[in-house]
Amino acid sequence: MAYDYQAVHALDGMIGAISERRVNHLAAHRTTAIAMVLAAPGQTAEAAGILVANGEFEARFSGPGEWLVLSEVHAPETLAAELGLRLGHFAFVADQSHGRVALTLSGPDATRILANGIAVDLHPDAFPVGRAANVLCNHLSVNLARTGETSFDLVVMRSFADALVGDLKVMARSFDLSVDFATR
Amino acid sequence: MASLISCPHCGTRAKEEFFIRGDATPVRPAPMAGDDMWNDYVHVRANPRGRIREYWQHVAGCRRWLVVERDNFTHEVFSVSDAAAGRGGER
Repeated sequence: MAYDYQAVHALDGMIGAISERRVNHLAAHRTTAIAMVLAAPGQTAEAAGILVANGEFEARFSGPGEWLVLSEVHAPETLAAELGLRLGHFAFVADQSHGRVALTLSGPDATRILANGIAVDLHPDAFPVGRAANVLCNHLSVNLARTGETSFDLVVMRSFADALVGDLKVMARSFDLSVDFATR
Repeated sequence: MASLISCPHCGTRAKEEFFIRGDATPVRPAPMAGDDMWNDYVHVRANPRGRIREYWQHVAGCRRWLVVERDNFTHEVFSVSDAAAGRGGER
């Protein structure tokens, strides 16, 4: 017997009831192609080289020889296979597209909001655009990446997405923050 | 307890990001070593005051096991290194 599976976003029903955009905005992405890449022993430099050379992938540091790879070009269904093809025996790939939720926090107070829950120096000199790190946000481990002077991407495990959005709302209580699904 | 740990991969982080995984000084005996050696390795631990070596895992960061050398009386941290580096491993 064949079953039809329906992809349901972890934040469906939790956010998106009020469509508004304030000075600071937290956008949850509906579909994001995400994969975890772990370099084979001793092949860290080779795997990193392949990931950097390819403009279709955005590799975010997760640990030594380990990256969270996001792609705007590839679909969630094909990213892991594409990565496997390019990386060959240099690395191991695991699809995370439905296992993680990507959020974008943007606005002039983005760093101040994050500073209420993240104990990492977010000054542009210490955490420049393009830098990524796994950090503790309150009690949740998230992958934080700076995508612009005042915009950050947070990638979190799917089951923690609701808790993270709740935490971010509390962290932004003294700032003007709206939360919605990304329109793109 | 030391409040800041300088992870060799992630930089200086708060201690809440780490789990302490135990004494890093016991050396694993050879597989066919005597029962008394294995008993010491598995069960017997010293409880010194002062400078100690411990395994800390950076669970909220790079998830690597680190060896932290610190003073459990003055809370001073002397060194932090990747546990694999200490035994000639990768990364």
